[in-house]
Amino acid sequence: MTFITQTSMTIILRVPTLNDSQTDCTRLFSLWQQLQNLESQEVIVDFSDCRFLRQNAVAFLGGLARLIQSRNGKVNFVWNTLQDDIRANLTQNGFIDIFDGTQRKWLGNSVPYREYRYEDMDAIASYLENCWLGRGWVQIDSASSDEIVQNALEVYSNAFEHSASQIGIFTCGQRYPNLGKLHLTVIDFGVGIPPNVRQFLNQPQKLAADALKWAFKLGNTTRANKISGGTGLNTLKQFVKQKSGTIEIYSHDGYALITSGQEIYQRSPAFFQGTLINITVKCDSPAYNSSESTLFY
Amino acid sequence: MRYAIREMIGENCMTQQSGQQIYEMIYPRLQAGQSVELDFAGTKRFLSVFFNFAIGQLLRDIDPETLDRLLAVSNLSPVGQQAYDRVMENAKRYYSLDDERQRAFDAIILEQATLL
Repeated sequence: MTFITQTSMTIILRVPTLNDSQTDCTRLFSLWQQLQNLESQEVIVDFSDCRFLRQNAVAFLGGLARLIQSRNGKVNFVWNTLQDDIRANLTQNGFIDIFDGTQRKWLGNSVPYREYRYEDMDAIASYLENCWLGRGWVQIDSASSDEIVQNALEVYSNAFEHSASQIGIFTCGQRYPNLGKLHLTVIDFGVGIPPNVRQFLNQPQKLAADALKWAFKLGNTTRANKISGGTGLNTLKQFVKQKSGTIEIYSHDGYALITSGQEIYQRSPAFFQGTLINITVKCDSPAYNSSESTLFY
Repeated sequence: MRYAIREMIGENCMTQQSGQQIYEMIYPRLQAGQSVELDFAGTKRFLSVFFNFAIGQLLRDIDPETLDRLLAVSNLSPVGQQAYDRVMENAKRYYSLDDERQRAFDAIILEQATLL
């Protein structure tokens, strides 16, 4: 899959339609791979071929833009190539405002795009509580809300502690009130989980899939200084299993899918140096009376 | 000695730094055999990293029975209590091993990792 056209100083990146299946994540990682050797060039992001952008794609594109900028490149989003409904959502969720600054975000039902350069857990907690779970858009009691937010926060905490991402963490979410489901994507462009595990265990040949499996086991941690750990990811795993949710992780060439009924650890179809985590949790009950559409893009 | 956690670090107990701050305050007292109460009234969010740094690592130098006798934790929300219990159970297992057994434990982990 080739998504770029390159001249001497300019690269045109054609964003395809991006949902959140494994094929779509492979497309996202392909975009990242094709921009790996970029230095001090201008990247023009063209959305003409894009008919749909899911929350994982929004978060990934934001992170990719920051990665390009961190390498002294310039990113030029061609907003007028956006379909109207995608443009409306990227305006509403603050993506355009963050990268352009001329179109202020407006208060709507979409879950905002956020980037966190530093570990500001209070701000992330507020984001999850107020913007992801939202203002009553999903029917959920206070105890369940606290539990969901706390478990989701473990992902961010883990990323800040272990990823060593130089450009921070990128996130976006999506609600499906009619299905009683919440989706959340957290992405870092750091070192990835498998290299951390390999280094800690001194097993450079360890398969990425096996490294991911190790990381989810209770009590296993790569934390130094003999301080106990290895409860965060395992707690999250138990939580999504209880809630009939899912965790999907892409890190290096490893892929993990955890659901209430199964745990799959395997080789990822595409390499991505950092870590992309998709979480889906079910709420107490579907909000049948919600007027919000189940699809925002 | 009673410590009001909210007054010290705010309503969210979520970072290594805040956990370490609590640890450094209570460790000398516990080592001296003095009782400590951590009052979590008014706190809201809890992450495992906080409990590992604040309390879990106490078990490196203090045995579980002594810690249970000297340390009281009060007013934790159900979600906080759940996170605390899980971290402490794991930490007790982690630090219960003496050096020799720790090496054996590490070897088992390595072996498991190899078999995966």
